[in-house]
Amino acid sequence: MYEAVHAYPDGDATVARQAMTAARYGYDGIVVRTRSALEPPDGAESEAAPTSPARDPDAIADEYGIDVVDAVEVDADGPREASGAVGNHRSEHTVVCVVGGDDRLNRYAVEEPRVDVLARPNAGSGGFNHVLAKAARDNGVHVEFDLGPVLGETGGNRVRALADLRKLREIVTYYDAPHVVSANAASHLELRAPREVVAVAEEAGFDPEWVREGLRAWGSIAERNRERLSGRFIEPGVRRGRYETER
Amino acid sequence: MKHLPKHLRPRWRYLAVGIETWPNAEVDRRAFQRALWYGAGNLLGDAGSADADLKLLSFSFSGGAGEAVVRVRRGHVEAARAAIGCVGMIDGDSVGIRVRGVSGTVRACEERYMGRAAASSTQRDVAFEDAERSAVVRGDACDVRIESGYVGAAAFDTE
Repeated sequence: MYEAVHAYPDGDATVARQAMTAARYGYDGIVVRTRSALEPPDGAESEAAPTSPARDPDAIADEYGIDVVDAVEVDADGPREASGAVGNHRSEHTVVCVVGGDDRLNRYAVEEPRVDVLARPNAGSGGFNHVLAKAARDNGVHVEFDLGPVLGETGGNRVRALADLRKLREIVTYYDAPHVVSANAASHLELRAPREVVAVAEEAGFDPEWVREGLRAWGSIAERNRERLSGRFIEPGVRRGRYETER
Repeated sequence: MKHLPKHLRPRWRYLAVGIETWPNAEVDRRAFQRALWYGAGNLLGDAGSADADLKLLSFSFSGGAGEAVVRVRRGHVEAARAAIGCVGMIDGDSVGIRVRGVSGTVRACEERYMGRAAASSTQRDVAFEDAERSAVVRGDACDVRIESGYVGAAAFDTE
């Protein structure tokens, strides 16, 4: 199972700390949503210079025995800006998420097959309906179920978050749109072990197996995209292999 | 009062719970028990909270890490796990919390899951983001002091 986390400078824990904690909690991998966490710092030495191991996903993965996936979260003001950002980042990052939270952005994200995940569709004023669910299913865009507010908030905010999650769940399961589940942790302290996440979601009315599927979906997205980004992939069903030597 | 015959006594399960905070946080036993009760009350409701009957049996905490044994009624372990997972703040300090395991006796719980954290924390200066900063180091974990608070780092970041 995978968890998608924020890392320093966006969150309060570095990628290595998140990976260390996630490995201890029993995750198979983490998806790092913060683009700048795994890139050389701005204005740093030329690109030829070796990046420090603390910013290299493979080095961190080796150190802690857990998969580290580089991702990007596109948080744009409108569909046009988002579209440009998605085009820029698609070829460089394994997972591309678009932060929803407003009707036009939600609509853009589910109608764009290059987007992997529509993150936090309910944050802000955003809504979700059957049209978006069908588009998400047809374009293979995963809708994120963000359990962060359920774990961290209290009172009215949590009630609203739970109500939104329930509505989203009813729509998404009816149309069988792909989904991912995350606790959206900004630091290692907000991270929760998979069994805790599943237990909380179960209390909120989710089917436990469905939630586990959502946690595993991050891993399958990463696997599929790594295959596509590798040089051997030409188009679906076509890949570069070795020549046949014998006939 | 005379105690109950054995077949009428409630059956319990004991959860070993690991706690982690920023190094400047102070969490005491009463605050943790209160957080558990509020967490359960808010998530499971009064009835569910009474069913799970979370009770803190032992608690230790120092230097940003701690552990506890929580007693739960048998058959309500998953509800209790959810309530424990929802404890995000104790007295305004954010906490990372995790159920390490479940046992049928207190003794098995302590022998299996407790007393491993023990790595004591020390204060020293580390190199982080091209600057020398003071940090609290506990085993592999390393909480670096920056202007706005702490950043969780690992030994791997400071090498």
